[in-house]
Amino acid sequence: MRSGHKNRSGSLSKLARREERSALLMLLPSFLIILVLAIYPLSRVFYSSFTNERFAGGASAQTSFIGFQNYRQLLSMTIRALPPAVDADGDVRTDADGNTVYMNPRIFLRTLDTGLAYDSVATFGLFGNRYVLGATSATFIRAIWDTLVFTVSSVTLETLLGMIIALVLVSNFRGRGVMRAAMLVPWAIITVVSARIWEWMLQPTRAGFFNTLLSDLGLSDGNFAFFQTAALQIPSMVMIDVWKTTPFMALLILAGLTTIPSELYEAAEVDGAGKIRRFFSITLPLLVPTLAVALIFRTLDALRVFDLFQVVLGDARNSMASFAYYQLINARNVGMSSASSVVIFLIIFIFALFYIRALGVNRNAD
Amino acid sequence: MQTRRQHPLSRILFWILVVAIFIYLMFPFYWALISALKPHAELIRTPATYWPENITFVNFAAVFQNQAFMRGLLNSLIVAGSTTALSLVVGSFAGFALGKLRFRGRGASMYLILAMTMFPQIAVLSGLYAVIRVLELSAIASMILSYMIFTLPFTVWVLTAFFRGLPTSLLQAAQVDGANMMQTFWKVLLPLSAPALVTTGLLAFIQAWNEYLFALTFTSIEPSARTVPVAIALFSGQLQRQEPFGEIMAAAIVVTIPLIALVLIFQNRIVEGLTAGAVKG
Repeated sequence: MRSGHKNRSGSLSKLARREERSALLMLLPSFLIILVLAIYPLSRVFYSSFTNERFAGGASAQTSFIGFQNYRQLLSMTIRALPPAVDADGDVRTDADGNTVYMNPRIFLRTLDTGLAYDSVATFGLFGNRYVLGATSATFIRAIWDTLVFTVSSVTLETLLGMIIALVLVSNFRGRGVMRAAMLVPWAIITVVSARIWEWMLQPTRAGFFNTLLSDLGLSDGNFAFFQTAALQIPSMVMIDVWKTTPFMALLILAGLTTIPSELYEAAEVDGAGKIRRFFSITLPLLVPTLAVALIFRTLDALRVFDLFQVVLGDARNSMASFAYYQLINARNVGMSSASSVVIFLIIFIFALFYIRALGVNRNAD
Repeated sequence: MQTRRQHPLSRILFWILVVAIFIYLMFPFYWALISALKPHAELIRTPATYWPENITFVNFAAVFQNQAFMRGLLNSLIVAGSTTALSLVVGSFAGFALGKLRFRGRGASMYLILAMTMFPQIAVLSGLYAVIRVLELSAIASMILSYMIFTLPFTVWVLTAFFRGLPTSLLQAAQVDGANMMQTFWKVLLPLSAPALVTTGLLAFIQAWNEYLFALTFTSIEPSARTVPVAIALFSGQLQRQEPFGEIMAAAIVVTIPLIALVLIFQNRIVEGLTAGAVKG
């Protein structure tokens, strides 16, 4: 290990060793912090995910090793064909249009003799049959699904909107400075504060801005319950998140745009390439490295979304992170919370690996 | 490149787009402001008024008399300020070592620190809670320490890039003059890095000021240590008990204006800092 240094002349080796010692000394505080704040807690979370540890109210309850039981409880799923509902005479029930009425999925799942208590996550139709997706922890499976939908929609919208804003701001016009300053406003607002402002704008009555606007435009009676209607919950979250984070995206893309040499555009213009052609053959390819970094930042950020969901929806609808939080704080179930944290960690890790592979980011790192 | 010799119609479209973007970015802030200025009767009236008919400052007065909120402001200042100071000290050491010194394991150290930025905070929450209980830290101290999990990697990253950009001749000259590594760092390099320290410090401060998950968890048994985001999330009003949105909006404006002022003053540095990693790759 030290041989490389010994082979050199004595004084150089001494100097090099001194430099090395100073470097390690200067890095020591950072390593200590990483150890205490990241490595130890993460290993502990990993360990307690295999136990039934709980926060006890006073006396410490005994904790024991329970293997994969938390994971089984969190991730067990089943897909079953839903039987039709049968009336008292044993006939299949149909609704007014003659469609088959199926059994209540929750009641059906409870009748299964599997030893696991499944709850319904979703039902779907396929080839004329009706199926139910059951899970032992329906809330967690729904939280994973919701977080994925939230992430994909908000990152896509942010990238598109951020691209439009950046393309507008890259041209020289009077008021460009004002616009760039305005972009920093949503970015600088505390996430919790922006969540509460939007919560107020999205009130279920016409006291809220959006319901007033929609009814003034004649589009609704002004009673959209954005946060109480299941179908509107995730779109509302996406809308709030897009407002808050688009500026960050736009700033990164703008920075990428300014590094593209203008001679390229001039040459393309001489060659008769139109605006759209120039965008797809010059701007977009040259933006790929910038977009890659921006996408990674934003995707990993969106996957761990917590503030927005917890403030606006509370426990009514969970993101992955707010599920783990409520398991820890409300249910005081450290083992279960840790297991869900490990699952979240793995999901985020897979996304990071996928991105690094697909976009070839690591070739830039030194 | 796009403004010269344009068709008037496309110029009009361009300006419509600019104005639309501006309204989109600023509107929620505007709505919070006018809601904070409305008296309660007008605030809950349907349909909502797009412009306040009667302006009142009672909501702002109530916010400034709200003990929990004012306490939150103080706590947030202490926590965000201390975290920033600590990250800058620890981060500039690491940044100097990684940016200017040669030693084995440099690449690995860089990767280790960078890996922390990809870290989901929730993944360490219950483990961190255990660390805090063992060390018997107060909620304020826990927040100061734990926030470094996200401020430190960023600080190290930006400062490493900065130190790497400084000429090595400076270092050699100092060593020829007989300065040891620490003296070189303190007397020669640190004064030069003031601009980079301001940028990273600002970004670290804003991140810490914003943090919610750790603050909510660690202050759950110590409400007097709540920071601004927690105070606003759990806001209970002075004037109305049920969801006092007038006061919440006033509180939102109060905490946002200083931050916006700060951001506008330092906007060039902030944009530089935010985009530093992205553009160079």
